[in-house]
Amino acid sequence: MSMGKPLPHDSAPMHVTGAARYIDDIPVPADCLHLAFGLSHVARGVISSMDLTAVRTAPGVVRVITAADLPGVNDISSAAHDEPLLAPGEVHYHGQPIFLVVATSHRLAREAAAKAEVVIDPKPAILTIDDAVAVRSYFEGGPLTWKRGDVDPAMAKADTIIEGKIEIGGQEHFYLEGQISLASPQDNGDMVLATSTQHPTEIQHKVAEALGTPFHAVRVETRRMGGGFGGKESQGNALAIACAVAAHLTGKPCKMRYDRDDDMIITGKRHDFRIAYKAGVDAKGKLVAVEFDQYVRCGWSQDLSLPVADRAMLHADNAYFIPNIRITSHRMKTNTCSATAFRGFGGPQGMVGIERVMDHMAHRLGMDPLEFRQANFYKKSKPQETPYGQPVKGFILPDLVRQLADTANYKTRRDAIRTWNEKSPILKKGIALTPVKFGISFTLTHLNQAGALVNVYADGSVTINHGGTEMGQGLFQKVAQVAAGEFGIDMGRVRITATDTGKVPNTSATAASSGSDLNGMAVKNAVDQIKDRIARFLAVDGVKPKDVLFADGKVTAGNTVLSFEEAAKMAHENRISLSATGFYATPDISWDRTIGKGHPFYYFAHGAAITEVVIDTLTGENKILRVDILHDVGQSLNPAVDVGQIEGGFVQGAGWLTTEELVWDDKGVLRTHAPSTYKIPACSDRPDVFNVALWNGENHVPTIYRSKAVGEPPLMLGISALMALSDAVGACGEAYPNLSAPATPERVYMAAKKVGAKR
Amino acid sequence: MYAFELERPTTLADAIKALGGEEAQPLSGGQTLIPTLKQRLAMPSTLVSLTGIDELKGIKNEGGTLTIGGATCHADVAKDGSYPALSDLAGHIGDPHVRNRGTIGGSLANNDPSACYPAAALASGATIVTNNREIAADNYFTGLFETALDEGEIITAVKFPIPEKAAYVKFEQPASRFALVGVFVTKGANGVRVAVTGASEGGVFRWTEAEEALSSNFAPSALEGLSVPADGMIGDLHGTPEYRAHLVGVITKRAVMKAG
Amino acid sequence: MSEITLRINGKQRRVTVEGRTLLVDLIRDQMNLTGTHVGCDTSQCGACVVKLDGDTVKSCTVLTATLPEGTEITTIEGVSTGDLHPMQEAFSKCHGLQCGFCTPGLVVTAIDIVERSPDGLSASQVRKALKGNLCRCTGYQNIVASVLEGARAMGVQVTEEKETV
Repeated sequence: MSMGKPLPHDSAPMHVTGAARYIDDIPVPADCLHLAFGLSHVARGVISSMDLTAVRTAPGVVRVITAADLPGVNDISSAAHDEPLLAPGEVHYHGQPIFLVVATSHRLAREAAAKAEVVIDPKPAILTIDDAVAVRSYFEGGPLTWKRGDVDPAMAKADTIIEGKIEIGGQEHFYLEGQISLASPQDNGDMVLATSTQHPTEIQHKVAEALGTPFHAVRVETRRMGGGFGGKESQGNALAIACAVAAHLTGKPCKMRYDRDDDMIITGKRHDFRIAYKAGVDAKGKLVAVEFDQYVRCGWSQDLSLPVADRAMLHADNAYFIPNIRITSHRMKTNTCSATAFRGFGGPQGMVGIERVMDHMAHRLGMDPLEFRQANFYKKSKPQETPYGQPVKGFILPDLVRQLADTANYKTRRDAIRTWNEKSPILKKGIALTPVKFGISFTLTHLNQAGALVNVYADGSVTINHGGTEMGQGLFQKVAQVAAGEFGIDMGRVRITATDTGKVPNTSATAASSGSDLNGMAVKNAVDQIKDRIARFLAVDGVKPKDVLFADGKVTAGNTVLSFEEAAKMAHENRISLSATGFYATPDISWDRTIGKGHPFYYFAHGAAITEVVIDTLTGENKILRVDILHDVGQSLNPAVDVGQIEGGFVQGAGWLTTEELVWDDKGVLRTHAPSTYKIPACSDRPDVFNVALWNGENHVPTIYRSKAVGEPPLMLGISALMALSDAVGACGEAYPNLSAPATPERVYMAAKKVGAKR
Repeated sequence: MYAFELERPTTLADAIKALGGEEAQPLSGGQTLIPTLKQRLAMPSTLVSLTGIDELKGIKNEGGTLTIGGATCHADVAKDGSYPALSDLAGHIGDPHVRNRGTIGGSLANNDPSACYPAAALASGATIVTNNREIAADNYFTGLFETALDEGEIITAVKFPIPEKAAYVKFEQPASRFALVGVFVTKGANGVRVAVTGASEGGVFRWTEAEEALSSNFAPSALEGLSVPADGMIGDLHGTPEYRAHLVGVITKRAVMKAG
Repeated sequence: MSEITLRINGKQRRVTVEGRTLLVDLIRDQMNLTGTHVGCDTSQCGACVVKLDGDTVKSCTVLTATLPEGTEITTIEGVSTGDLHPMQEAFSKCHGLQCGFCTPGLVVTAIDIVERSPDGLSASQVRKALKGNLCRCTGYQNIVASVLEGARAMGVQVTEEKETV
């Protein structure tokens, strides 16, 4: 059986030899054209004149396309139809595409684009949350509030109240493979695209819209991405549509890739947040009321900001029962790149808000932050409801956290750190344990469906195809293990094929951690159908179809034992269909976002991390010394792949909250648009000690082999790094550190100074 | 990157000749210049590659002076070890791949205000040797990306007197690994010298108050109460002037401690 | 345009390049060796690392025409002939990759690290030596484990240093 085995990633042998093909590695015909955008150099304004003569006459230029030249709809947005491919007259952020150059090489296209003479009359730009609040620049007209109970009287009766706010920076995805697309025109007006995208179906739909054709005239294929992290959910649309439009107009294949600086300037990032909070506890240290104002900088267009902001609200409780809560979400429209999906999709920011409250309140009460957290966990025995009315079932965090704290010696280490800090005037250590409870399912309920296509060939070899995309997370490998396991054949017989809108239609994005939950089930459904047909065919002489066994490469029906190959050949020769489409729709979910009530999540994934750090109070330099993680993936489909997701998620989450700082200047220009100015974690930053273990237990609801989603939840384990830094800074004096994120050395230094560090 | 002519001289004489052309610019390891060209921030019509000139490469230790050819890469300086503080500095520039290409001459000719080598040259009282003269480090660094080099003049070697004590401590800008603040201290025949890179709007500078204090007592405690004013320090996305000024004091003490 | 003779993965190649032709463009576009990737274009990420006369370099920041005649270039495709190199085996087996985009540069670098450490290698040395190669997926844990496993397979002693407690 292949299930549950720590098998290597399906493409591993190709990756280590460089043979694995990304879009840029696909051989193209010699007449392939290359594209580059001309970008706005102001954050907001009206294009008063545009002289593209020098662009048109530049070497290698075949065509220059402006908004007026587009054959169909000028829109690249996921849903709101508010995001033109090329700015039609007004520009809304620095870096917005205005025109498109089609040239004989990537370099010539870029060089030509730089020759444009575009005059833009600037208008006052709304750049920051403060700017936007001042002029009430909101999406949906104003804030959205969800609540439970009655916050104000409960707060008035509270024994202890804290108030504060935290700024949480955004995050650049920094997928190693930048955005890229390739479009090839076909006969009959069809268009075929190879795209680095998490959402081939959306690309198909948007391209069809841009070309004015039905969806069936566009086929999109994605074999793999060099990283996605949410950054390729909607942000690839512009390139794919540009390629398709240019290919349509020129009749030639067209390819477009952003250079890294363009990629960082043009595409959206994780939303930066400001969270203001007020919280009250009773005399026993139980939370009685919490109030959040979540300010979300959405950028210039809606993109996925509404569901992102919703998910931040849905995770404002994290693991804690809060009887009275009011969450107000302010979705601010600003003249910056349009913030987008990023691993966690708002959940991480919402969770930082409540974890900050827990940290701050424990500090005020003089309690161990872990004990305070544990005292406020949802009850395990009797399910309590979340603020949005979903009962918290299968809640394992109390046990999981206790086990982690025990095995990692949290208490002993915390005491040792206190003693150590007393004798160490300049270096201070800190430790924190933070839990994660993350809701699994798309909040837009209809997205929770998946299709699959499984073919068994007459030689017993198998191809599988489904709507999920592979971005390194091991989805293809996991699903192939499901198929091989169900057929009872070895992995070598199963070929994983590129995601293809022509094979499985109407798919959802590979997002919301849902990839293996949805597609694993859809593939299993298809496999079951084929097995059933073979079983019915072989079930003769009193053998019942359900007793036909598929295992160890054999199909056994009573006394008849066939190799899988023989069974396939025989079925084919007897005119049995060996191809099936599978389907899955997540059960038991419903959601009304206008009132914030329902059962939006099929289940929750859990985990917890303990991080220990040391800071230098003279400089603010800091280092993660040790990390211990216990994470819940249910019954793992592939423990090695899951552990890889957890390790990578933690490091990415810790990077977000410590070193990854995005800086825009007062003109709205992104100043951190290269890896030389934007710091993602490097190998030398990795914690010295990094222990990761999987929780031993299965999902309490039926999922594929009772596994759990793992893509996003571990990112939020990184919150423990921020809280550990806060703990270390707190050791410098009496006051609460009020540390904002990312906790760069300068911020840590300033916070330590404020708290009272000796200089 | 705009088109340019590339000359590949194999002798210094040919290189000088090639640099006589209009808008010609020398290219050493290219670890700064090539990214700059890609961003189209520079548009030379001719680049003269110095990496094929053997006489510009190599390290010699003679009579307490270390002479390093201008086209010697950081990895070779790191390996050499005869001036340990300098090798230590070279071994922490960028990353291993960058150190295999980037050169000392290229770094000093570019004089990036956050580069490491300028601090070493200034603190060591090094001599910059060019194709037609020798320039004392004190007279060489003239401002941000500005040096005493004339048009067409190239660094053939750098002569470092090896001091009795020396150390370099760098507070990295973590993304680029350039110095947010870097301090090189030396104690030797030239007395005590303290050079600070990364911090000042004027580029690398000698912190004379610290030098005076350390001359009578070469110990971190001698620096108590000394500070550089925030005025004139770089304020950018990586740090405020106040933070940099503060770091100069802290990092200098650490450099003195490291020098022993 | 200039002509230059290089040895690429053991084969002598006469190539014609412009002054501005980057080594990575020669490798990818003219030699069709697409295992060397362009990640950041700015000499930071290490996805384009190849070996030049025995030293690792970032090929996005080398002008081909500046290379001396006969320069030996090894790309990921030249790391092994036939069977996988032990380091390639190790990355595959130890899950030292996810999306795989950084993997070729890492494998080339990892082999170089081991070859430069005949007397033994520790995890902390590996971490330092890999600082010029970015990975956004793995969190580096399995990458370090892969390099150490590869080192063992290449006959280099791994100085046991506690990676976990």
